[in-house]
Amino acid sequence: MKAFEYASPTTKEQAVSLLGNQWGETEILAGGTDLLSLMKEYLSTPKRVVNVKEIKEFQGIRYSPGAGLRLGALVTLEELMDHAAVKKEYPALAQAAEGVRSQQIRNSGTVGGDLCQRPRCWYFRNGFGYFPKGEGGEDLVINGENQYHAILGNSGPAYFVNPSSLAPALIALNAKIRLFGAQGWREVEAEQFFVTPKSEGEREYVLKPREILGEILVPPAKGIKSATYEVRQKEALDWPLAAASVALKINGTGVKEARLVLGHVAPVPWRCQEAETVLAGKSGEESIAEAAQVALKGAKPLSKNGYKVQLARVALKRAILQAAQGGA
Amino acid sequence: MGFHTWGGRGHDSECRLTINPDGSVVVALGSQDLGTGTRTILAMVAGETFVLPVDAIKINIGQAPDYPPSGASGGSTTVGGVSSATRRAAQDALDQLFAKVAPALGAEAAQLEAVGGKVQVKGNPTKSLTWKQATAKLGVTAVNTTGKNPGAGKLIDSGVGGVQMADVTVDIETGIVKMNKFVAVQDCGLVINEKTAESQVFGAMIMGVCYSLMEERIMDEYLGRPLNSNMEFYKLAGIGDIGEFVVHMWKDPEQDGRGVIGLGEPPVISPAAAIGNAVANAIGARVPRVPFTPDRVLAALEKKGGLTS
Ligand SMILES: Cc1cc2nc3c(=O)[nH]c(=O)nc-3n(C[C@H](O)[C@H](O)[C@H](O)COP(=O)(O)OP(=O)(O)OC[C@H]3O[C@@H](n4cnc5c(N)ncnc54)[C@H](O)[C@@H]3O)c2cc1C
Ligand code: SF4
Repeated sequence: MKAFEYASPTTKEQAVSLLGNQWGETEILAGGTDLLSLMKEYLSTPKRVVNVKEIKEFQGIRYSPGAGLRLGALVTLEELMDHAAVKKEYPALAQAAEGVRSQQIRNSGTVGGDLCQRPRCWYFRNGFGYFPKGEGGEDLVINGENQYHAILGNSGPAYFVNPSSLAPALIALNAKIRLFGAQGWREVEAEQFFVTPKSEGEREYVLKPREILGEILVPPAKGIKSATYEVRQKEALDWPLAAASVALKINGTGVKEARLVLGHVAPVPWRCQEAETVLAGKSGEESIAEAAQVALKGAKPLSKNGYKVQLARVALKRAILQAAQGGA
Repeated sequence: MGFHTWGGRGHDSECRLTINPDGSVVVALGSQDLGTGTRTILAMVAGETFVLPVDAIKINIGQAPDYPPSGASGGSTTVGGVSSATRRAAQDALDQLFAKVAPALGAEAAQLEAVGGKVQVKGNPTKSLTWKQATAKLGVTAVNTTGKNPGAGKLIDSGVGGVQMADVTVDIETGIVKMNKFVAVQDCGLVINEKTAESQVFGAMIMGVCYSLMEERIMDEYLGRPLNSNMEFYKLAGIGDIGEFVVHMWKDPEQDGRGVIGLGEPPVISPAAAIGNAVANAIGARVPRVPFTPDRVLAALEKKGGLTS
């Protein structure tokens, strides 16, 4: 790890003033479960690390049936999955948090950190950046070990998958993310928060170098049934191979409106709008299978990840069934 | 189900054993304890020979050249080598102690025995000395012996066998294999310590599940370097992935009579066979390569024409 200066401000204004203008100059530290790995591997070598955990305003969960849910960026994954109202009203979110293994990571890892964690692409983590290239300019992902890479939104040059399990759930639940910067607060739809970088200097989200993810607002979930289903090869310490978070507005026995989001299949969490319209206004299992089919219609698997298309279909199907049967 | 056999004959070993006049006993040899319980079984072998509790035996191992040469811990050869060398050194030391003590008990050395912290005339508790009284008869000269393997008498053997049975669930939509139950039956001659022996089998089964279902080194062909060389990417099973384990050590007089045989490697041989056969039974198709990852299981199902989504 490269030596760095450490700052631990107690207000959000101080924190912003300590951040640099360029990505990489400074880094925000929350639970550190990702940042420390990045720093130990010299993938991140900031001059200054700004710990935001002392900023009280970014802590805590608030819920009311009228206003919905407010999550401070510093809420830990464990707090989130244990929260009674989250479990009852937003099961998709609680289930996504529960999916993050292990207990230790859930105890330290925060909601803000989960959304801002860097890609887990093994080329990226071995120091080859977003767009790993060989000496002759060959695309290493296309020609190499792409079994866990993107099957959607992968026209290049980025092929990694967004690693956040919370993101699909927050998008399905129509959440807003609030960012604090020198100009004060701004708000973005969770869906608009993630972007596919086009050059190495960019990040995978719209956050600017001198902004902090402060809080997340989730609208009331009245009449909405939600669920997250993850396809996991193993229980311990691993990311899902594919996942789906869904939120269904149920009307009698049919689905009035649906928001379907796939995780771990594209460089950004993948909203399946066409499949949503397939599901809307219908009931019965055939429409679920059809929606899953439609959602993956545009998938373009790479040389070794064709199986993920099937896994994503299954995740979506099972998430819809789980929401329809249980949910809130 | 899967079967395995293995050798497990003890390696060359030399043990230096000391009985000090103050009653302390020290075993010294150069092999290492990898966490498999080598210290424990050495104390048990010496303790059993002197009929002393294991905590009365001091074990000095692993430090060359201070301790006598004894093979490396590997190849399932450790336990046979170190236990037999220690047994021979201890037996020899006890005989020397008896020779020193015999006059005080008015008997021949051959008439003495060690029983529960005492040295006595065989079958006659009224003619006895405590272990400390006995060793005090050594005066200022400790008993020093060396025991070797190979050596006199049949204390060890080679050739073990085991059977393992796996019970799995395969999700035919995702190709994910989950362990339900895994049973191992293992013979390995004379079991010195059932707990450490069982632990060898449990450990082998855990690693067996890992390499059968997830463990794999991923090399990038172009770069010629591994991509998953850390604990984040290199897949290993956790508690939730291994299911229920049952280990039966096969113990009977016939096995005991064979002497000590190594057990480290044998039980890690057959897990993939057992798990692979269980997967094939479950889906009616064989997954031809380990680990049985979702992509390979789905491919096997598809080849068989049995996949519907
Ligand atoms: C073995 C393992 C398995 C995992 N499995 C999963 C999984 O299945 N699903 C999943 O979603 N996650 C998984 N994770 C990731 C884990 O959830 C994240 O590491 C954790 O949530 C990050 O939170 P943190 O507070 O520790 O972030 P940190 O490590 O402190 O920060 C992570 C990144 O986010 C930035 N950051 C943090 N907070 C803010 C903020 N408030 N504003 C702006 N930027 C910020 C940091 O600068 C850094 O770049 C796993 C992690 C490990 C190690
Ligand atoms: S997790 Fe690893 S390092 Fe920690 S106690 Fe277990 S084996 Fe040892």
